[in-house]
Amino acid sequence: MAGTEWEPKIVAFCCNWCSYGGADTAGMGRFQQPSSLRIIRVMCSGRIDPMHVFNAFLEGADAVLVTGCHLGDCHYVNGNYKAQVRYQFLEEMVRELGLEPERLQLNWISASEGEKFANFIRDVTAQIKQLGPSPLKPEGVN
Amino acid sequence: MVGIGDKLLGYATNPDVRNRGASGGLVTAVLAAALEKGMVEGVVVLKRIDEYEAIPVITDDVQEVLASGGSMHAVPVNLTKHAVGRKIAMPGKPCDVRGVIEQAKRNGVDLENTYIVGLNCGGSMHPVVTREMLIRMYEIDPEDVVGEEIEKGKLIFKTKDGEEKAISIDELEEAGYGRRENCRYCTIKIPTNADLACGNWGVIGELAGSATFCEVMNEKGKRLLDNAIEAGFIEVQPADEKSIAIRNKVNSAMLKLGDEWKGRLLTEIHDQERLTYYIEQFADCIDCGACREVCPVCTCGEDSKCTMFHSLADNYKMSMYHMVRLLHLSDSCIGCGQCSDICPVDIPVTTIFRRFADPAQKKRDYSPGMDLQRPPFLELMLK
Repeated sequence: MAGTEWEPKIVAFCCNWCSYGGADTAGMGRFQQPSSLRIIRVMCSGRIDPMHVFNAFLEGADAVLVTGCHLGDCHYVNGNYKAQVRYQFLEEMVRELGLEPERLQLNWISASEGEKFANFIRDVTAQIKQLGPSPLKPEGVN
Repeated sequence: MVGIGDKLLGYATNPDVRNRGASGGLVTAVLAAALEKGMVEGVVVLKRIDEYEAIPVITDDVQEVLASGGSMHAVPVNLTKHAVGRKIAMPGKPCDVRGVIEQAKRNGVDLENTYIVGLNCGGSMHPVVTREMLIRMYEIDPEDVVGEEIEKGKLIFKTKDGEEKAISIDELEEAGYGRRENCRYCTIKIPTNADLACGNWGVIGELAGSATFCEVMNEKGKRLLDNAIEAGFIEVQPADEKSIAIRNKVNSAMLKLGDEWKGRLLTEIHDQERLTYYIEQFADCIDCGACREVCPVCTCGEDSKCTMFHSLADNYKMSMYHMVRLLHLSDSCIGCGQCSDICPVDIPVTTIFRRFADPAQKKRDYSPGMDLQRPPFLELMLK
């Protein structure tokens, strides 16, 4: 599609109870957000294995977002604490790998925070548009 | 009776064992005594292949243990497989011991009945590289070598014609030979994680060369030593201040040298070039899975997450197999160097893994394989 602006591919892992609800609310509240997002619903942010994130990058994601309930609000007691521990570790790995830190982000979004969700996606998309396509993106994938 | 924390000088009572051993045959005698008195049902000993290589085998014959004394070359190996489900005693370098302890933390092996005698280690040499070094640097046929020695920082090889040739270790390592790369910057030279920490550092005066410095690290080490003394296999005496000071001095000198090498081998790569560097290094990978097979801390077994990504379709830009392994091992990598040794396409796997593991472990002040109390750091942080 010549002439059209490059649109990044952003993979967001959303937990079923909070951030997925947040994405829903964003839609219901008609908050404008870019079409760059691909949501993967997981039951809890504690389900997200660092491996999933790396695999997303290798499959062509320009950015990966890890989202979940606010700390203390997890429906499975401490799933988001587990996600946080893994995220901190994962962040170091991604930095050491040489990927820009903006390509991996963590945010806690509750089901009622539709506007926060939309703003978050908008911000990330703007950041990634500046950075350009991910260096790990395979050839032939745009 | 010895106590925990005692620092002793000891040697084997049997003169034959004492002479054959590299420094008094204490370790050989302790292992033999444990087997003789039924403390264990087997002992891991080294079986000599040639001047440059020896492999660990398990034996239940006391005579075979006694005959196995003496210094031999063995690169680190996965000793845990010998210990699973058996009551055994084994000697090990610091990295061997760390591997076993990391496995024990992950329930790969039960250390209740396993006795580990640690040996001081300043680094090991790869058999293939050593042969090449003899041809290129020493200009000696590797088959002619009958003995070797380290003296005043020089590595001396003796040939069967009675000739000797010495080259300084620094010079050898400068040329890319000598100790394996990861040994040069290894941070654990005295195996304080084992049950007994033995070695010849700190043995001075008339005992030099015919006694072993031995530190009792825990209850199991005390049992081992008491048993050997009772059986009359060894004699010990307390080490004096001077011995202890010299042992510490050798250790800190080694560690200081290690730090220098670390700076040289793990050079900082610029942010922008890092990803290209890793992609280029891993591009050679043929997915043979050998690095996983030899890894002493990997506990996944046959079906593991990393080997699910052996298909080329999963490795567009970079090997997913290695990425999963990096995630899995950054908390437990001990830097033993076996993955680099075994790699058929010569990817510097250990160096790459240390680049990831070093900062992560340092940040959490976690040294893998040093004790059984501290859980892997990802588990610890949750509590």
